[in-house]
Amino acid sequence: MALWFLRGLRRGVVTTRYPAVVDPWAAKLPSPPVFVPGHLTAALADQLVALCPSNALAREGTHLVLDVGACSGCGRCLEAAGQAARPSGVFELAATSREHLVKRVPLKGDLL
Amino acid sequence: MTPASPLGDVGATGEEAAAARLKEAGAMFGRSLHIRTVDTGSCAVCESEIRLLLAPHYDLHRLGFFFTPAPRHADLLLVTGPAARAMDIALQKTYDAMPEPKVVVAVGACPLGGVYAQDALVHGRLDRVLPVDVWVPGCPPSPLALLQGLLVAVGRLSAKVGGLSFCEGAPL
Repeated sequence: MALWFLRGLRRGVVTTRYPAVVDPWAAKLPSPPVFVPGHLTAALADQLVALCPSNALAREGTHLVLDVGACSGCGRCLEAAGQAARPSGVFELAATSREHLVKRVPLKGDLL
Repeated sequence: MTPASPLGDVGATGEEAAAARLKEAGAMFGRSLHIRTVDTGSCAVCESEIRLLLAPHYDLHRLGFFFTPAPRHADLLLVTGPAARAMDIALQKTYDAMPEPKVVVAVGACPLGGVYAQDALVHGRLDRVLPVDVWVPGCPPSPLALLQGLLVAVGRLSAKVGGLSFCEGAPL
């Protein structure tokens, strides 16, 4: 008999209850960033665009465009942005339309 | 039935057509879905995560989802990789062999256009080859993200990402 089965019996049920219950550790998975417009200057945005290895970031005038579909969750922008970005912790990212995955973040000074 | 389409004809596109396909698939496959995977030049990390769906922790079968080796038995096509041109014929044959209604799910940043640009070797985005119904981002998407993608594809969960802004202060 497989050892994992005996270990499972000893420790209790190991199967996730998703989608009824979301595992708490899922928030720690690599995830796309959340940007803080109050700290996101145009210069920093340009720096992040140049840094992104998967072309998930682009600058469109007064907005930073984040393509969640292209983001590989590498975390380089999180390291470079300081207070201007944090991990979102969102893993439920499936979309029925590609356009739903493109997000626009206003830059500092352009808050509406 | 979809007529044998020339390569590059992506069939019915647009949100309405996709929504209609998903609704039909959800009504039919809500409790039993057979999945065929095709790797179009992926680095195999997405495959590694897909394989984990069968592990005891995720236990895909509890949801009524099964992997099948035959496209003719499959309801859902799970495509990884940047749609390499070398896989064009295999991908099209797999898609054509699947009975209607069928759902195509793009898995990972590659088929979503994040990693490779369109060039002589790859299409760069899966929707240039097949009509994609559900997009699952991630590099790789975790098995939980894949589960959510599959449940969205059969209409058992709703896609939430459209309502997220990824901007502090706005709803997230």
